[in-house]
Amino acid sequence: MIRRLGTTVATAIAIGVGLLSIWGLLSGSGVVFNITNVMLQLVVITVAVTILIGILNLFGVHIRRITRRSGGWVYSIALVISAAAVLILWLLGERETNNMLLETVQVSVESALAGLVVFALVYGAYRLMRRRVTWSAVLFTVVLLIVLLGALPLPQAGLLRQARDWLMAVPVSAGARGILLGIALATVVTGIRVLVGQDRSYRE
Amino acid sequence: MDSTTQALTILIILTAFAVSLIVTQFIRRRKDAFPLRPLPAYAAIPLFVGEAIEAGRPMHVSFGGAGLGGSNTALTLANAELFYQVAQRNLAGTTILTVSDPSALPLGYGTLRRALANRRVTASRTQLSNGVRWYPAGARTLVFAAALTGVLGDDRVSGNVLVGSFGPEIALVLETAARRRQSTIAGSIDLDGQAVAYAMADHALIGEEMFVAGAYLGDSAIQRGSVVALDVLRWLLIAGILIATVNSIREPVAAALSRLLSGG
Repeated sequence: MIRRLGTTVATAIAIGVGLLSIWGLLSGSGVVFNITNVMLQLVVITVAVTILIGILNLFGVHIRRITRRSGGWVYSIALVISAAAVLILWLLGERETNNMLLETVQVSVESALAGLVVFALVYGAYRLMRRRVTWSAVLFTVVLLIVLLGALPLPQAGLLRQARDWLMAVPVSAGARGILLGIALATVVTGIRVLVGQDRSYRE
Repeated sequence: MDSTTQALTILIILTAFAVSLIVTQFIRRRKDAFPLRPLPAYAAIPLFVGEAIEAGRPMHVSFGGAGLGGSNTALTLANAELFYQVAQRNLAGTTILTVSDPSALPLGYGTLRRALANRRVTASRTQLSNGVRWYPAGARTLVFAAALTGVLGDDRVSGNVLVGSFGPEIALVLETAARRRQSTIAGSIDLDGQAVAYAMADHALIGEEMFVAGAYLGDSAIQRGSVVALDVLRWLLIAGILIATVNSIREPVAAALSRLLSGG
């Protein structure tokens, strides 16, 4: 009974705040607009609090892995020690050491990973053709080859470069816009479903 | 916001609202009133979950970098519905939900808790904390992708549903999954990530397909109604684009025709 009441109150608050926010954002000024801004600031504060939940989750999951000797527990030790070190350094006010660690460790690792992405992509294109040869897969691979070859700095690749420029300017741009328009419409429809209190997070 | 944009926004919202409401009433009376076009990715989910249960290995679902409070809020909520459907079907097994944006954490916990509660399985704190995992993305989401490759190996995942916000680094995760013979469904709001997902995943979800999991995997009339509303909006948009195109080329075409007919 109390749970159902809680759900109803949560739904009512979500609908009320949602409608108020739309009104405020569409009006662009006035009292409702100011209320909307305050609510958006509250969202920012709430999101900041979730970082604390995240840190607790991170330590909880990996300490449990270590104590249970789950697969990859050695990596979990490295993760817990690194996270604790960063937190302690931050608490001690050692911002420079923290930044140095970020620059020398994380950025280097990320750059190495970025290099790996290229190989993963090439393997992906190969796998696409090996798995199933369909018209869309052939088209995808041909376009990919034209774009890659057209990017080569060779004097003989002039025609390919023109084809690449046309592909990027017309079909690729049109397709990208089509996908983005679809996402925008779906966002509106999902927003309405939430506004009328029919999203599962309110219903149950 | 100028008055034309305001009017258009209100018109789109009202149209979507009205169509959703009307169609939902029809669907409540007759479930097959508006059949949905088949989407292989959603059709494959029960199969993937069945394989995971039979193998005694977990299913892995991920929001990627999608979270609440930003432009991806609607996508995150829609994905929560998809992950709920996966977790609910996988109650006999384990579901691991990974997030990179901390704002998606409470939603992730709620999604798994509701899925477990629906079958009267008490969600213990350990189950939930083991199921939902936060891997901070850092300066770039490559770190998150690297962490996911670890999850795929260490937890011996059976299938992956990676739908949310992923960049081209999703290639690392999908390549690892392919190497370990794990099934994958992927989709991303980021266009680079979307292209990679299309090429490398077993099944891809493209654009608005990521938002309609509830209609395909659930039995809610409002979810089906929102798919029809989406279709109506899409056709209205197509009509709008065609009208604008015809309007913009009408005069030059008329001028060219008149020149042709007058022999000029």
